[in-house]
Order: sequence, then C-alpha cells, then structure tokens
Amino acid sequence: MDIWYKENIDLKTIAPVTLLLLLGIASVYSATYDAGASIFFNRQLIWAGSGFFLMIVIMLLPFRTLQFLSYPFYGISILLLIVVLFGGKMVAGSRSWFGIGGFGLQPSEIVKVTTVLALASYLSRGQVNLQRFKHLATALGFVLFPVALITLQPDIGTAIIYLGMLFIVLFWAGASNFLMITLLAPAAAAIATLFGTTAFFIVVILTLVVLFVLRENRLFSATIFSFTVLVGVSVQFIFDKLAPHQQNRITTFLNPDADPLGAGYNVIQSKIAIGSGGFFGKGFLQGSQTQLNFLPAQWTDFIYCVPAEEFGFIGAFAILLFLTLFLIRGVQIASIVKNRYASLVAIGIVATFATHTVINIGMSMGMMPVIGVPLPFLSYGGSNLMTNMIMAGLLLNMYANRKEY
Amino acid sequence: MAEFAESSTRKIVFYTAIGIVFFVFLARLIQLQVLYADVYGKKSEENSIRQIARTPIRGLMFDLNGTLIVDNGPAYSITITPAEFRMSGLTLLSNILRTDTQIIKEKFEKGIRYNRFTPTKIKRDIDFKTLSLIEENKDRLPGVDYQIESKRFYPTKSKATHLYGYTKEISDQQLLEMGNEYRPGDNIGATGLEAAYERYLRGQKGFELITVNALGQIMGDYNEGKNNIPVREGSDLFLSLDAKLQALAESLLSDKRGAVVALDPNNGGLLALVSKPDYDLTTFGTVTPLDAWKELNTDESKPLFNRATLTRYPPGSTFKMVLAAAALEEGVINQNWRVNCTGAFRFGNKVFSDLHIHGSTNVVEAIQKSCNVFFYQLMLKTGFERWTRYGREFGFGNPTGLDILEENPGLLPSEEYYDRIYGKGKWTQGYLISLGIGQGEVGVSPLQMAGYAAAIANRGYYHTPHAVLRIRDKESGKLQIVPTETRKLDISPWVWDVLQEGMYRCVNEIGGTGQASKVKSVSVCGKTGTAQNPHGKKDHAWFIGFAPRENPKIAICVLIENVGFGGAFAAPIAGLCIEQYIYGKLIRNVQQNVLTAAQSDQAQTQQREH
Repeated sequence: MDIWYKENIDLKTIAPVTLLLLLGIASVYSATYDAGASIFFNRQLIWAGSGFFLMIVIMLLPFRTLQFLSYPFYGISILLLIVVLFGGKMVAGSRSWFGIGGFGLQPSEIVKVTTVLALASYLSRGQVNLQRFKHLATALGFVLFPVALITLQPDIGTAIIYLGMLFIVLFWAGASNFLMITLLAPAAAAIATLFGTTAFFIVVILTLVVLFVLRENRLFSATIFSFTVLVGVSVQFIFDKLAPHQQNRITTFLNPDADPLGAGYNVIQSKIAIGSGGFFGKGFLQGSQTQLNFLPAQWTDFIYCVPAEEFGFIGAFAILLFLTLFLIRGVQIASIVKNRYASLVAIGIVATFATHTVINIGMSMGMMPVIGVPLPFLSYGGSNLMTNMIMAGLLLNMYANRKEY
Repeated sequence: MAEFAESSTRKIVFYTAIGIVFFVFLARLIQLQVLYADVYGKKSEENSIRQIARTPIRGLMFDLNGTLIVDNGPAYSITITPAEFRMSGLTLLSNILRTDTQIIKEKFEKGIRYNRFTPTKIKRDIDFKTLSLIEENKDRLPGVDYQIESKRFYPTKSKATHLYGYTKEISDQQLLEMGNEYRPGDNIGATGLEAAYERYLRGQKGFELITVNALGQIMGDYNEGKNNIPVREGSDLFLSLDAKLQALAESLLSDKRGAVVALDPNNGGLLALVSKPDYDLTTFGTVTPLDAWKELNTDESKPLFNRATLTRYPPGSTFKMVLAAAALEEGVINQNWRVNCTGAFRFGNKVFSDLHIHGSTNVVEAIQKSCNVFFYQLMLKTGFERWTRYGREFGFGNPTGLDILEENPGLLPSEEYYDRIYGKGKWTQGYLISLGIGQGEVGVSPLQMAGYAAAIANRGYYHTPHAVLRIRDKESGKLQIVPTETRKLDISPWVWDVLQEGMYRCVNEIGGTGQASKVKSVSVCGKTGTAQNPHGKKDHAWFIGFAPRENPKIAICVLIENVGFGGAFAAPIAGLCIEQYIYGKLIRNVQQNVLTAAQSDQAQTQQREH
C-alpha cells in the first residue's frame, strides 16, 4: 500500500491544488462576507469538497477507457453547448447557462476538458501528420467548432482560452516552426494594429525575420507575409469605419485607463486593492476595498485582489508561486509520460490553466485587457471549479499511468 | 515517437515561458505592493471617505399680495439598511407597503452593491397611516426606517397647475447633460415655473465628507468638516399673480374647456393664468406614479395641455382692432369712413356673410357691433402687407416671451407665407377677406391675446408678459428684480382713442356685443370673438378686454372651447374676473346666478356677433 501510494499519487500536483483551493475558499468567504458566511461561501465549500473527491475518482479511472471515451465525451458536451444556445439562461448578457434546481451548469466549462481530450486523441493517432492540410484542418476543427458556438453566446473570454490552448497543444504535438508562424503572425498583426502603427510594424518586421531564418519555400513565405500585412491593414480599415463609440469600446478594452468610470473603474479599483495591501496585507476581513465592495462581483473574476489586499504581497506571491509550481509540474508530467495521448492531454490541461492564469492575474494588475475569465481554483463558480478539479484529476491520472505505452 | 526526441527543446520553451511570466508578474507585484504601496494605500483611504449630500429646501412662491401659494411639506420615504435588514421581515414589509416582495428584494440587492450600511429608499411618499404601521412593527422589521423629504403643496385655492408646474425625478439623459449638479433620485423642475426657475428654486446641494471604517460604519467628520460644502436653500419667487383672481377664474372654468389669461397693462405682470381642464399637482409631489401619468396623458380632454399658451385657434372678431389700427394709422381710412352693411359681401363668385344688417357703419360702430362687412372691405382696402405688419407689432406670430417655457408662437400669415403654401400667384385677394375678421389660417394663444389687449389698454406699450417679479435669496435676503422688456408700438394717440371708444361701446352701449362683461361703476372696454371650428363641433368663444378705461389695471383674455358665441360665454367670465380684481372681491350677489343669467339673457335676445 505504501509503495503504491508513493508510486501513483503525485503530491507535487495535489499540494499546490489543495493550497490554492484553501486560499480560494478564504477569499470567497471574505469577498462575500455579510455579517457571517454567505450563500456564496457555502456553495463554494460544497463544490470544493465534492471537487476534491471528483479529482481522486478521475485519478483512479482506468486510463485506456478514458482514451476510448474521448470522442463520445466530446460529442455529448458539444451537444450541450448547442442546446444552451437555444434553451440556456441569459446571465449578464450571455446565453451560457443551464439552470438545474438552484444551481447553474455552464457547458462551455466542461467542453474545455472534452476538447482537450478529443484533440489529444486525434493528434496521438500514428498516421496524423500536421504537415498535411487535411489533418491540420481536422485538428483545428476540433477546437474552432466549440469556439464558434461560444462566440455566439457570446463569451469572448472563454473563446480566447480555447485558442490559446489550441496553439500550445499544436506546438507540443510537433507542429513545425513554419506552421506556428503561419497561425501566429496574422493574429499578432491584427491585435498589434489596434495598439498602433508602431506595434504593427514591429510584428511585420519580426514575421519577416522569422520567415527569413526558417528558409522555407519562398512562395509560401511570401504568401504568409502578404497575408499578415493584409490582415493588419484590413483591421485598421475596419476600425476606421467603426462608429466612435465602438472604437471607444475597443480602445478601453485595450487600455482601461482611458475610461476611469466604465471598464477602467474595475482595473483602477483592482490596482488600488492590490497595491494598498502592501507587504503584509490589511488582515483577513480587514480589506477596505474588498469589504466595501468597490469591485463589483469580486468573488469571480477579480478574486485575486482579495488575498492581495488582505494578505498583502505574501498572499499574492504565494498564489502566484503555487500556480507556477502547478504549471511546471504539469509540463514535467507531460514530458515523462510514455504515452503520446497522455502527454498531449497533460499539456492541454497545462495550457488551459496557464491561459486562465495569465489573463486573469494580468487583468487584475492592469497589464491585460479586461477579459472575464476565472482564476483557477480561486474564483467562485461551480462549473469552473469542477472543471478545474477534473483537469487536476486527469493530470494525476496521467502521472499514475506514466509508464504505460 | 520521432517528434518526442525534440520534446526536450519544447520542454525548455515551456519552462522559459512560464518563468518569464512568473518574473514579470512578480515584478509587477513588487511594483504595486512594495514600491507604490504608499500611493495605493492613500488611494484606498480616500476610497473610505464618503460624501453625503444634503438636499436643499426648494424655494417657495408668493403672490402679488405676499400670500404663500407654493409651499413645501414633509414626505416620508421608507428605507432599509441592508446590513441590518432580515429577510424574515420581507413579507410583513411587503404587506404594509403594498409593494411586491420582488421589488423590495431588487432594491435591497442594489443597496448591498452600493453600501450595505447606507439606507436605501424602497418607497417614496408614503401616507401617514403606512408610516404608523411601520413604526408599530419596528421590532419585527430590523433595518427598516424612514427619511423625511420635502414635497410641494399648495395652501390656497389658486391651483394654477400649468403655471406652477411640477418637478419629477431626474432622468438618466438629464443626468448626463447636467453633469455634477444632480444625483440619481434628485427632483428637477419639469414644467411651468418649476422648470423655468429651476436654477433659483433648486438652491445648491451641500456635501459633508465623512470617514467610514473598513466596515463602512461612520467614524466622524473628515478633516473636522473643513472640506464640507454647506447647503444653500432655494430662492423664493414673488409672482405678479393675484391668487384670489386666479382662484375665481379657475372656479368659473371648472366645468369647461378653455383658458383665462390676465395681465397688468402697466408692466406685463401675469395676474392669472388658467387652463382647464387641469390636474392635481400634488399627484406629482415627489415621484410621478406611472398609472396617474398614463391616465392624464391619454385623457381625451388633454388636461396636461396648457391651453393658455399652447392653443392655436383663430381669434375671430377680437382681431379686428389689428386691422382697424393698420388702416387708421396708415391713412387708408379715417374715423369717418363708412360702409353700408347689407348683411353680406360679395367678392368674385363668393359671398361672405354677416349675421346682422348694420346699415351705414363707421369704424367705432364696426368694433362696437362687430360688423363683418365693414372689415371685409377694409381688409381689401388696407392690404395684406399692412395687416401682417401690424399683427406682428401686436405680438402675433411670435412667442410672447413669458417666463414659462411652454409656448406656441401661433401663426400670422403673410404674403410670403401664402406664396410658400399655395405657390406664387396661386392665391387670390379672396383669401384675405376671412383674415380681416380673424378667421382662416391665423392662429393665436390666449396669452398673445392678453398681451394685445394690454397694449391697447396702455396705448401702445408691449410689455413682455412675465409671472415672476422678484427673486429672494434665502441666505442674504436680497431681492433681485427680474428684468422685463418693453416695446413701443408706432401708433398715434388718436388711433388708440378710436379703438378704445369702439371697445368701450362694445361693452357699455346698446348694440354692443360684449355687454355681458359690464361691471358696476367700472369703464370696461372689450371685444368679443367667435372662432369658427373647422372640426364641426361648436365654435370657440373669445373675449378680450381691459379696465378701467382711464387708468387700466387689468387686461384679460378669456377663451372657452366649443360653446358658441364669445359675447354669451366668454364675456361674462371676463366681467367677473375684472370685478374681482378691481374691487378685490365680487360685489354682485351670487356669482353662479349672475353667470347663468347673463348667458341665457344673451341667448334669448339673439345678440349674435362674430
């Protein structure tokens, strides 16, 4: 028993997950404190408890069965995603929820896992070669289909997570540098254009340099380069055609300081919360920003401010450190497993957690546009926490089966 | 697994990427929480300073004699403090307030988001009985309290709905436009004087800065109150309105549709402004109940419509002095010029009728008896251009400039206007004939008519009508006189003599159409009018006049819709109003009897006119 335990349970994954869960529960308790524990806290506690149990169950599932069920899981979850578009509840302008009893289910969260599973399953097939257009298109299709459905809800934040995950998994799966630049350059050009002409030219020059270094087929290279420039120019063209208030929305999205009462308000208050926490913090339940509700719904997307204000740099750094350790451990697991499917699943999970983390903490500290995505293990929300625990369970499962081919 | 050979380089890419992000975020954390901790700490302290607004008391309104006519009274609003409120009290509260639990819950949740230690209003302007019930059940309703706000009430019988106007809660759009001076939930003048003098009546908000602790509880004044802005109460308005005259005029029109406007011919001060039917302004005391608003808005008799200033009816024969003045002053005719009235006037193939055969008639007799044939001919002789020019001199076709914002400029046709509407050369002199007796396209409001009567009364001065004479600053007690404008009409004294003589005879001599406006020992001058109603209903009755002739103190216009002749229905009301104002009371016996007697008398003798 002792040996099995040592062999199969990865404490390097479980430890940061558990610590993050505890910090998350404390943060939700503080953020929603109302002369005692709130209904948010009680629910989060139930989800964390059952989520932990679910993580262990997933860890113990037979590995082959999991691989076998990847496509069926994907199919069912995509079906839910379609149904929610028609029968879902409207919450904060998005149709992304099912109401079941008092609880809500958000299919786009579950689909995060099933998409990783399906994509890994496809890419791990021996004959799949990303250099072939048909195979590449299929791989892209696995992700772009749910992205399209989620964009219809509309939930841009979640859609961005999927695209980040896709990109990282393709890289891990052995996509050539040339393929990566083909996918990355036009997207980078589009975003850079919105930041200004200088940014656009930097991207264009970088693309040119990379293409030159890669020394691929000249015709392909020229096509990709022209396409990149074209995307940048057309984005600028479309931007100029937009009404001033639409341009404004994009500008404040990229630079929240430009709108201190709208989108910028959250970022300003968030920075004040984090900064005023200082080194040691104001103390549990003593954060004035948190307790006076300067941030709307800070128990979800802006949860990072709560420990940062009340536990100061110590608390904020601890969360950053635990998340980093967890991600590094994920990459290690992806590297040591013998099975290609397991490796791709692990890297897909790492990619999903990493994009959430970067976007969420970057946003809270005013380094990123305000994109509503939760912080893994900390933000309030059942569907998201359960999905996170399932993904942690999958990592543990891959680790336990690391010697299987 | 060929690619996996490369996986060590890919692994390094991953570790590097994670490492870079980690150190960038770490650097940012150090920047925010260590290097700039003081700056953000200060900002968060500033966040814990709260601003409490103190709403000033709205200014009052007084009438000509110093009688308080628009006052403030207490209105009670029920509030809940979210932190103290318990959901167990929800049903009880909902029953007492007769408000849906869902609505209370929504306001409660909105309150939580703002600050759970600050009372949130859940129902405004409740009655005293509801307040007592809340007080009785205080133990079972923790966190429920009340706040006193002020609301308008009107202590005299003078209700002057359309003049005083009402205030309403500021809209989101207005909030955007007004900037910092208003907050959500504030009231703002919406109509009448409340809107026109909003910036005086409102006063200036006071702000107290208080510090709150981390739990939002009030700790005390910030900086010992040195940064507080004291509240400035709203200024009072002193009106030229005579509340007693206003009240009488309202009662005389109580079952009618119409308007009365009375002016002081010496300065243009508004003595009375009645538009009926009206509505109860106290309905709008604090917040406008939606159902009451809908009812008023869809009422077929249009109680919201200010008939005194927005009406645009033809003036009928009351307009004849405009033409007479133009013809006499321009030397088209003199006072001895005569027309033989045969009861009809043929022009081309059209016959313009008169109701009587007046025989040989000069201009004074034509005004006295309202002879149409005389004015048909005079119009053709005088011409369109002069008629329009003198109409404009008397203030028609333009807003008078009364100090309430709702006014219709009316329509004074001109050659250019007809060219535009009908096309150049497509209209004939025949179009003019109707205008000569105030029928057709010409459109006027009772307010314009009163201004016109006042200019005849004072022999040529057009004072811009105004309701407010002085504004009193509450703080300093200083009185500010509202500036007025006066315009001199370029018309000779002998012409005024002729017009006044005609109007005097109209009221005081046999054959005059306005005899129902006669007042004992007062030389009333007047002119009746009947506006043809193209919509098939009965005609609109007009009367304009002034008194006394030697030393005019009041000029008046009465309009009653859809009743018939001006001499029968409008003149008696004007007579009673003049009597009230000159004597300070009615010297006749019972006013109602006098009124009905006058009407039936007129009807029986078939004293018909236009």
